[in-house]
Amino acid sequence: MSNIDLSAMLIILGVAVVTYTLRVSGLMFSNSLKKEGKVKVFLDYLPATLLLSLVMPTILKEGFLGVIATVCIIFCMYKFKNILLSMSIGMLVVGLGRNFIL
Amino acid sequence: MKNDFKNGFMANIPIGFSVAAYGSVCGMLSSQSGIELYEMILMNVFIFAGTSQFLIIDMWSNTLDVIGIILAASMINLRYFLIGASLNSLFTKSSKTEKFAYMHLVADENWAVTMGRLRNQEITPLFLFGGGVCLLFVWNISTITGYILGEFISDPSKYGLDFAFVSIFISLIFTMYKGKTNLFPWLVAAIVSVVSEAIFPGKLYIVLGAIAGSLSAVLAHKGTK
Repeated sequence: MSNIDLSAMLIILGVAVVTYTLRVSGLMFSNSLKKEGKVKVFLDYLPATLLLSLVMPTILKEGFLGVIATVCIIFCMYKFKNILLSMSIGMLVVGLGRNFIL
Repeated sequence: MKNDFKNGFMANIPIGFSVAAYGSVCGMLSSQSGIELYEMILMNVFIFAGTSQFLIIDMWSNTLDVIGIILAASMINLRYFLIGASLNSLFTKSSKTEKFAYMHLVADENWAVTMGRLRNQEITPLFLFGGGVCLLFVWNISTITGYILGEFISDPSKYGLDFAFVSIFISLIFTMYKGKTNLFPWLVAAIVSVVSEAIFPGKLYIVLGAIAGSLSAVLAHKGTK
């Protein structure tokens, strides 16, 4: 095994161990907390705030097109409550916009 | 209950298209930066986190900075600590063994789909795990295809495929809306993530936005009591 192969294996192993530890320790940590009051509110809000933080910069980077697509998706969810349909509309708006407008 | 694995698997197929688009690009870039096929597959199986794999590809060169890459990838994956914390309500009846077994295959996508479903249906961690297995298949097939076909793949972003996961996440956020009290913390999360994305390097903005949003919810609740 050459040096580069060994380094590669160390990187893969290192990142794998850290990532798995993060996944498990988050769950274990929240399990050890008392699930009432402030902690409950914090954890209850976590899924939505995480998702929002994940997508907001991406939407804005897409510019006007991203905002239009987001409005269409929200309207579609409100009207039909169908995630697959909303996803298709979002992709359609962005796909068409990138090819024909920009 | 018994069908939770299958239901979770099926529920992740739509978002799987987006993952496949990402995966094909990831595989293509892996082959270009000199990563061996078996190394990429090892990453797919043991790291199983797309964004950090992109970062590793980016930092890959003839002389590998082992510590630097591990640290940078860990920063990107910090959000998995919060994701793990948010999954507590799903694992209330689970044993330690189940937790250790199912948590590895938790990615942004199957986590988001599971949290969306958990709002209106009682599900077990098998739903999450089924989704993880689905993504593991899709991720491996698409990255290997991208690796082998290399430059023959045209840019998936041209067809808006990369926007599929953003679209699904927006739809899921919509299903989580429970009333006006949500708006303030959500706005805080949105603003903090956008601002910190502009200021800080890497993917730190995800963690910062989520913590700021959830903290503001705690503070707002205190005010109404």
